[in-house]
This record gives sequence, C-alpha cells and structure tokens, in this order.
Amino acid sequence: MPKFTHNDLFSLLLAIGIMLILARLISELGKRFRLPIVMGELLVGILLGPSVFGSLDHNLYITVFPQAGTTAKVALDGITSLAVIMLLFVAGMEVQLQIMLKQGKTAIYTSFTSMIIPFALGFCAVWFVPQWFSYEPDHKLVYALFFGTAMAISAIPVIVKILMDLNIYKTRVGQIVMAAAIFDDLTGWLLFSLILSLMGKQGEITSVWYSVGMILGFGLFMLLIGRRIIDRALPWVQTKLSWPGGVLSLALGLCFLSASFTESIGLHAILGAFIMGIAFGDSVHLNERAREIILQFVTNIFAPLFFVSLGLKVNFIQNFDITLVGLVLFLAVVCKLAGASLGAYMGGLSRREAIAVGFGLNARGAMEIILGTLALEAGLIDEKMFVALVIMALITSLISGPLMKRFTDAAP
Amino acid sequence: MEFDLNRLKKRPSWPFETIAVALAFSPRLEGVLAEAKHLSSSLGASLLLIHVGAKTPTKEERLDKLMTKLGLDPNHVRVIWMEGDPVNAILRLCKLNVVDLLIIGALQKENIFQHYLGSVARMISRKAKCSVLLLTDPTADTKKPKKIVVNGADNPKTIHTINTALYLSKHFDVREITVVKELHLPELTMSMGDERSAPEARQMKREILEEEEGHLKDVVDQCKKDNVNIELKSIKGKPGYAISKYARDKKADLLIINSPDTNLTLLDRIFTHDIEYVLADLPCNVLIVHSRV
Repeated sequence: MPKFTHNDLFSLLLAIGIMLILARLISELGKRFRLPIVMGELLVGILLGPSVFGSLDHNLYITVFPQAGTTAKVALDGITSLAVIMLLFVAGMEVQLQIMLKQGKTAIYTSFTSMIIPFALGFCAVWFVPQWFSYEPDHKLVYALFFGTAMAISAIPVIVKILMDLNIYKTRVGQIVMAAAIFDDLTGWLLFSLILSLMGKQGEITSVWYSVGMILGFGLFMLLIGRRIIDRALPWVQTKLSWPGGVLSLALGLCFLSASFTESIGLHAILGAFIMGIAFGDSVHLNERAREIILQFVTNIFAPLFFVSLGLKVNFIQNFDITLVGLVLFLAVVCKLAGASLGAYMGGLSRREAIAVGFGLNARGAMEIILGTLALEAGLIDEKMFVALVIMALITSLISGPLMKRFTDAAP
Repeated sequence: MEFDLNRLKKRPSWPFETIAVALAFSPRLEGVLAEAKHLSSSLGASLLLIHVGAKTPTKEERLDKLMTKLGLDPNHVRVIWMEGDPVNAILRLCKLNVVDLLIIGALQKENIFQHYLGSVARMISRKAKCSVLLLTDPTADTKKPKKIVVNGADNPKTIHTINTALYLSKHFDVREITVVKELHLPELTMSMGDERSAPEARQMKREILEEEEGHLKDVVDQCKKDNVNIELKSIKGKPGYAISKYARDKKADLLIINSPDTNLTLLDRIFTHDIEYVLADLPCNVLIVHSRV
C-alpha cells in the first residue's frame, strides 16, 4: 500500500500554498480591471501548469507540483474533489425557490424557454451535425444531452453580482432574470446528475428510470422532509453550539453526508451536495452571518484551489481550438439569447427589456466551468471541448453586464 | 346570478362599509359574532352573516339565541344560508354583496395535513378579493386592539395597507402603530462572495439599508396619519416569517399585511414564502388587506 511520505506532504503543502497566494494576488490585480476573480484563478492555473511553467522548466515544475502516480497528486485530486462538492453546496444555497414562485407569467415563460430552447438547440447541434464535435460513438446520446445542458445552464452568483452592480436586482427585469436563472440551474444540475449516472449504461432503459426515480425521490425527500428537519435543528445549533464552528460543522457535515449518499446509490456526489445546499440555504433560521461565513470559507479557500488546479490538469495552449471555441461561444450566446428573450417577450416585456433578460441569463461563470470539469473527469468530453467551455464561460460572464446595461438603460 | 366586477374594481381598501362573517357553528361561534358586532358597530358597517352548510332548526335556533344575546337586530343583519363548496360559496357571496371585510375564525396552527390540503379559512385568505380578518382567539369579551403591526413591504399595495391600518387605528383610538420593513439580503451575501473588500461590503450594505428605509419613509409620508404616530422598524429575516415572529415577540393584537400578489398553490405551501409563513402559524389576529388596485 503506497504511503504518504515526507516528500509527498512537502510537495502537497508547497503546491497548495503557491496556488492560494498567487491566485489571490492575480485575482486582486484583475479586480482593478473589473475582471472576475475566477478569471484570475484560471490564469494562475494556466501559468503554473503544463501550458506555461511546465514548458519553461519541466524539472522544476514536476518538483513543485505533484505529478500523476504520486500519493501527493492523489491527495491534491481529493482536495479538488471536495472543493467541487462544496462549490455545488454553496450553489444550492444560492437557489432561493421563493423568488421563482413569487414571479408570475413572465418568469414562467422565461424560465421554460431559457432552459428548453438552449437545451434543444445544443442537443440538435450534436445530433444533426456530429462532425463539429468529438466524442466516443457510444456516447452520442449522453454527449448531446450534456451539450444541451451546457448551453442551458446559468450562473446565479455572476448574475446576482451583475444585477446588483447595475442596481436592477429589485426591478421586474432583475427578478425575472433571477427566477429564470434559479430554474435553469436547478433543472440543469438535476439533468447533469442524470447524465453522469447514465455514463457507461448506454441503452439500459431500467438504469435510466432507476436514475430518474432516485434523483426525483432524493430531491423530493430532501426538499419536503429533510428541509424541515434542518429548519428545526438550526436554531439549536446556532444558539447552543460554538459560533460559528457549530453551524459550519453542521453545514459541511450534512453536505458531505448527502454527497456520499447520492454517490453510494449510483448518482453523482454533486447532486447530494446541491440538493442539501438548497435545503440548508432555504431555512428561515439560517442567519445571514452564518451564510456569509460558509460562503467565504468555500469561495476563498476551496474555489481557488479548484480553479487553479484546472490549469494544472489541462494544457490550455495545446488544446485551444479557435474553431471549436468560436462555435461553442456562438451557440451559447445565440441559444440563450433567443430562448430567454423569446420567453420574456411572450410574457409581456418590451423588446428591449426581453433582450436585457436574454443577456442577463447569458452569463455562465464558474458553474459552466464546474460542469465542464466534471464532464472531462467522467471522460464525456475531451480537453479541447473543455477549454472551449471555459473560454465561453468567461466571455459570456464578461459581456453580460455591459450588454444588459445597454438594454436596461434604454428600456421603458 | 351574475355580478358586476366593475363594482369591485378600484374600490378602495377602506372604509369597511359591508362586513361579512363566515359562520362555522363551532364552539367559537359566539366569539366570532361578538367580535364582528363590535367591529361593525365601531366602523358603522352593515353586517352579513354567511353559513355554507345545511340549514337546520338547531343551527337556526342557536344563531337566533346568539344574535339576541349579543344585541344584533335581525332586521339590520342579513343572514345567508347556502349549500355547496364552502370556499367557493363564501368567495362568491362576498363578491356578489361587495363585501369589504370578511371575518373568519381560524386555528392558530393547523396539523400538517390540514396545512397542505388547505383549511377553509386559509384557502379563503389566499383567494379572497376582499380584505380578510382571521381571528385566532375570538371571545365574547371583545377588546380594542392596542398594538398593531403593519407590513411595510416594498410593494404598491403597501400604501393602501398602511392607510387601512390608520383607518382602523383612528376608530379604535390606537395612538401608535408599527410599520415593519423586512430585510432579507442573501443576494447581497452572494454578490459579495470574494469580490469585495470589507469596507466596500459594509458600504454597499449600508446603502441598501438606507435605500430600503427611504422607500418606506416616502410611502408613510404619503399616508393620512392625522394623530396616529407611525413607528418605522427594520428587521432582518425572510419576508413573512420575520414579521410574524416580530408580531408574536411584541405580543401584537393585530398584524396587518398585504394580500398575496399571485394565486397561491400547494407549491407555495411546500416551499413556504411571504404570506404563507404567516398563515402557517398565525401570531395573533391577522388582517389581510386587499387593495383592489
């Protein structure tokens, strides 16, 4: 049995230290140019990984960063897997179902069309023009389902930030964008969990229904019963146990238990974390300070490790395919803009407001990158598609704010 | 019989000219009737008693006795007996008779099945096109409300709700009401993430709080206050839950809130929000103001 040696520990700690500090420094620099934090973290990964550092001084690179086959690399992979699970937990906490329920007809139309149209167009692109994409012949259906999901998903944190920066969060347009983003993320992650559980089970109808049944069963149990239990437990935890240790332990403990449960029944761990996040974040007893502490803990320690590690795993320069990047970006923007704007227009918004809604929902942010990473790790997509998805996520996040502002400024 | 909806549209939420009472012939009937009589005589409103169910001699006799005991003149109080679905029948009768306020007795809290299936009182509260007063503990020994808590949500209906509260305050000689603004800012926490420094985050929070409180102050300034003092209070928490808890903690006699903006369904009870938090566990008597505008 391989042991975790002194050198492994040294290598792991050195890597984590460098990753965290450089990610923070570069991200803070990027903030001055109004660039998202995640962009700085990815850039650090690219600089430290095989794309730049590895090609400049390979010997030093393999000394500093754990390489495949070492236990330090296994440990680092374990930490980044934990990071994904925690990021999905926080993403779940950001799903406020009441926003979705409070909005009327316009939000319902926008939610459906902003999900279904990009999903259908993405699916059809793979299904009818397969030569544009690269996948295992056995995986055509799951690949098409994945690409549809990748086109449909949104990124609530980026969208909230854009709406707050533009001071339109509380407006009708802002609330419709939020309601639709919540719907898109909720259905998108449920669908993606299904896709991951279907990997390697091609054509097994019973497996498909088993997975669908388990996802729905687990989701309903957690949202109907689990949510109430958490709601009852939280006041006691927040008042009787150490602060903020008690609530932090409970939150992450429940997140991991739920993730391990879904992993054990053949669904992906992310589903458990995401659903637990919704149940936990929805509690009326979760005070804002506790929410903030959980969010800060995950986004400032584990998120940088995860996003920097992507650059260590993938050579972004070698796998940059301009045609594929252009295609993915074009499809993502057109599908989302068409779907969301159509729904908003049908729901009664003016043309300019509807376009503003379309651009608002177009931001994919970190969620798309997480989706791409999980698909890459599952062997569903190759590194070129992964790089294309990452670039699409960054560009859509960058252009959404300015374009939305342009259309909301002029909207009646 | 068809009714003219135009009679209801744009009708102000106050004064209460016609008050209806949904009678259930439960042990609390006397209390509900006494409270209704007290309110109608204080406000100078006409009274309409509605019972949906079989008209039996026992019920008639009990109602007659109670009306006599409470001093309700049968010539000035209309009684309507009707059979059918209680919720639909009561709502229809309220529309037909242009009822301004419907009074109904309600349990403070219902069991989980009643909660999800929806009791008559709760279903009426969700659907009514007039204001609804839910009485949690009606007694024959009626008292004027002393502490009134009013919802100050950022909603066009709020000004009508506050004006209705002021109208009631003047009639019951309440000198001070508390208008509560609920601040729920998880989105602010989200937008902070790791992208803002501590001073930036504090500044942003302060600006949002000032903006929210400023909106409410503008609304209150437009209300017809006369001699009633309005205290503004900002509390943190989920809308509906926070004000309900505040009213309970402050031992309020009456909580006045806006009517729901959308048609509420089972989903709204499962994923509880806003008025559903209040209906799930009534903190005191609750008046749901339907502004009809």
